[in-house]
Amino acid sequence: MIELINLSWILALLAVIVLLFVPVKYKATAAILAVVANAIVTSGLAIHALGGQPVSYVFAGGSIMGDILIRIDELSAWFILIINFTCVTGIFYGSGYLKAYDNSPKKLSMHWILFVLFQLSMVWVCMIQHGLMFLIAWEIMSLSSMMLVIFDANNPKTLKAGINYLVQMHISVVFLTIGFVWLYFQTGSFSFDAFTSYFGMNSNIWMFLVFFVGFGLKAGFIPFHSWLPHAHPAAPSHVSGVMSGVIVKLGIYGLFRVASYLRSDYLVLGEILMVVSVLTGLYGILNAAVHRDFKKMLAYCTIENIGIIGIGMGIGLVGLGNHLPVLYYLGFGGALLHVLNHSLFKSLLFYSAGSVYQQTHTRDMEKLGGLIKSMPRTAVLFLVGAIAIGGIPPFNGFISEFLIYSGLIEGIKFENMSQIILMVLTLAGLSVIGGLSILTFTKTFGTIFLGNQRQPLTHTPHEVSKLMLIPQYVIVVMMLSVAVFPQVYLQVIGHILSGFTKSVVIPQPVGFTDYSSIMRSISLYSLLFIGVIGVFWGMRAWVLRGKSQVVGATWGCGYTAPTSRIQYTGKSFSKSLGKMFNFIVIERKEYEELKPGEIFPTGKKYTSHYHDFFEFRFIHVITNRLIYSANYFTFFQNGRVQSYVLYGIVFIVAIFLLTIFNVVP
Amino acid sequence: MLSLILILLAATFFTGIIIRTKSIASGRKGPGIFQPLKDVMRLFRKGAVYSETSSFVFRIAPTIYFSSVFMAMLVVPFGASKGIISFNGDFIFFAYVLGLGKFFSIIGAMDTGSSFEGMGASREALYSMFAEPAFFILMGSLALMTGHTSFQEIFATLHLGSSITYALGVLAAFVFLMIAMIENSRMPIDDPKTHLELTMVHEVMILDNSGFDLGLILTAGYLKFAIYGAIIFDLFSGSISYGYAIPLFFVMQGFLAFVVGMIESFMARSRMNHNAQFIVVLSSVALLIFFGALLVSGKFI
Repeated sequence: MIELINLSWILALLAVIVLLFVPVKYKATAAILAVVANAIVTSGLAIHALGGQPVSYVFAGGSIMGDILIRIDELSAWFILIINFTCVTGIFYGSGYLKAYDNSPKKLSMHWILFVLFQLSMVWVCMIQHGLMFLIAWEIMSLSSMMLVIFDANNPKTLKAGINYLVQMHISVVFLTIGFVWLYFQTGSFSFDAFTSYFGMNSNIWMFLVFFVGFGLKAGFIPFHSWLPHAHPAAPSHVSGVMSGVIVKLGIYGLFRVASYLRSDYLVLGEILMVVSVLTGLYGILNAAVHRDFKKMLAYCTIENIGIIGIGMGIGLVGLGNHLPVLYYLGFGGALLHVLNHSLFKSLLFYSAGSVYQQTHTRDMEKLGGLIKSMPRTAVLFLVGAIAIGGIPPFNGFISEFLIYSGLIEGIKFENMSQIILMVLTLAGLSVIGGLSILTFTKTFGTIFLGNQRQPLTHTPHEVSKLMLIPQYVIVVMMLSVAVFPQVYLQVIGHILSGFTKSVVIPQPVGFTDYSSIMRSISLYSLLFIGVIGVFWGMRAWVLRGKSQVVGATWGCGYTAPTSRIQYTGKSFSKSLGKMFNFIVIERKEYEELKPGEIFPTGKKYTSHYHDFFEFRFIHVITNRLIYSANYFTFFQNGRVQSYVLYGIVFIVAIFLLTIFNVVP
Repeated sequence: MLSLILILLAATFFTGIIIRTKSIASGRKGPGIFQPLKDVMRLFRKGAVYSETSSFVFRIAPTIYFSSVFMAMLVVPFGASKGIISFNGDFIFFAYVLGLGKFFSIIGAMDTGSSFEGMGASREALYSMFAEPAFFILMGSLALMTGHTSFQEIFATLHLGSSITYALGVLAAFVFLMIAMIENSRMPIDDPKTHLELTMVHEVMILDNSGFDLGLILTAGYLKFAIYGAIIFDLFSGSISYGYAIPLFFVMQGFLAFVVGMIESFMARSRMNHNAQFIVVLSSVALLIFFGALLVSGKFI
């Protein structure tokens, strides 16, 4: 059984070679075959692992690496299944999305090769339990995704976003490397099992925080989030869907993995995680509400959802610290389920937004409008995603958010006042996040799909091809399965969590099984809700039969010459919110004042855009300082070969002298 | 089941009493208290006019809005008797089900492509977003006081014993009443009687609705008032026997309607940009209740 694991990488490498040589017509098919085959192999192993028998395998890594442990336990299995599902829908959608590029075969073969490697590396990141190998897989994942982002490399903005992503991912790798090397020096092993002994003997806080920064950069916790709003809009939509759906979740996977080895300091870490997460959620959704580039908006919304997942993890850790198994199950369970849910609705949203982009060639929602008439299916798919991501019943987002809410409310029963206050404030924060996400998504959906076309487009938009629609339907079916049968998923999660912590085994408490029955009734109530809507809809049809139904102009307040330009815009929709929080969402306006005495004013231009608070106030300030101080050292790089030879000699002499005087061993 | 019938009954006269109070306060005789109901009946008999810009979203939005209020009504208990839907954490379901209705009423307004309706929609989204934390902090504090997490259990075990708890009860009633005013777009957030589109919130969203759809939206508004009235009643009902509780329920609903009418008669609407501040104040009142609840439960150190 476990030998199948080799099939995974052999298949992928074979596919890479095949993809180089097949004619352009079959490249997409070959890539689909490779991804699906890899998905089948690894998912098979993952399902086996979820069945209760973790599978493990040891590669001999030679003298440098030692034995490389490959293990698929329940946690890995959960993430592997999510990765495979999203990658498969992504590649089907992507093969339709990239149809227009059939005339540039080189670009396409590069793209599909990278996609295959991307999936391979993500799956392997979840399986490898050896620090160095993990870093290598992690690096392949970052590099391949970066290359996927810059598919449209002729555009300087895309390239810049790609480089930004590259740099930030390497800062992440630096922190991860520090973490693993630290672990190695303390325990003499790169294997993940070394965490157990390390955390057993030392303070847990600092090591966890190092990994939190490393994985948090990938996941997009503030203030490490600033790559997301650049990379996601730049990438082709199926790549942004997969990146936002899963690659970001691998940061969460890393945190889960490290958290599973923790032995003490649960409370402090849980509280830190909760505070950071609430702020992440609020910050993400606030920015999402004001942006007019709809893919950027989705990127910020990903940050928000990472915040929600983080809140769940924080509750779980606090539960561990207080020896409250119910809280542990609700918190971590909610977080794991939200990982799945978010990967579903976020990829759905990115795919449908990508369909809009493919048809209209703009990401600016203020230029769109009324697309529900020309692209009805895409509109409904986007609407489903928008409702689900707001955590509104009857869709799946509510299930995971309800678990997290329940965790918070259970947490109110604590004895410790500071923890109660934290829980209640988080409760309030989460409710604000929910309210803001309604505002954000009604704005986006309303501006893009409803009303009238705001500006003439170069092409008339049409509904996208079936190849792009079917993967989205599949995602919707999956989402409904979570909404209708939450108890099934909850059972799997309960199983994952019972073997999750390495130090102690926490059996499922009675309280959690209660919640599993509550989940079942919630799914019934959601169905009842749909039924109620159906009943009233039927009543409406019955009452309205035979009555006059006239179509007329929209109420214009007596104005008889309305144009589509007078429609309410997305910008004005969120303007009052942006004004209220202008200390966080920084708006920059560029315009020319009318000069005194200018009697015949010429045409003027007014632009306004929002800056990212952390990027604008911190990261840019720091990098500008760095560049400024680095300027003093430009004389080193003077272009004269003689000086470069001199630097070499100085270096050699320095080494020589230092060795003689025994400064360097 | 009991709560469902009582709320439906209360909804028939709640808005009527508000209007009657306002009429009398302004020196007019005013319509009968069942006039709103008759208005809705008349609307149900009418045909409909749709905007040529609108799509199916506009047609289905009022139905979903009404259904969401209907579902929310099923969750509310009456004293110790459960609502039809009751489970631990049902108040989250309550808030989020109403959220779906809000979502659809907003996109329904945006579907007309009007220059005004989006304005109302954006205000509605903003104000209800600000009202969320007040509701959740308040329910959290009640959960803290009683140790239970479902509407029915919270209200069944909520005993207002000491003077502090009475103060908390009054504050909580105030917060719920204000949330009801925000949810129904009433004074001091919004003036349902205004005639200028630019200053409307809720009214401007439904400018293009007509006939059955408009009737549904109005009915949903009446129901919402009765729902929040029932919640406020539940705060104080404790374990009174039904013989007293049911008449008391109607007295309380009537009184609340009277209070709403008086507020609307003697208060001017806030300026638009002060509304958000006003609603955030509700959250701080809710926090006050929370700290009171900490005191009462002896966890305040």
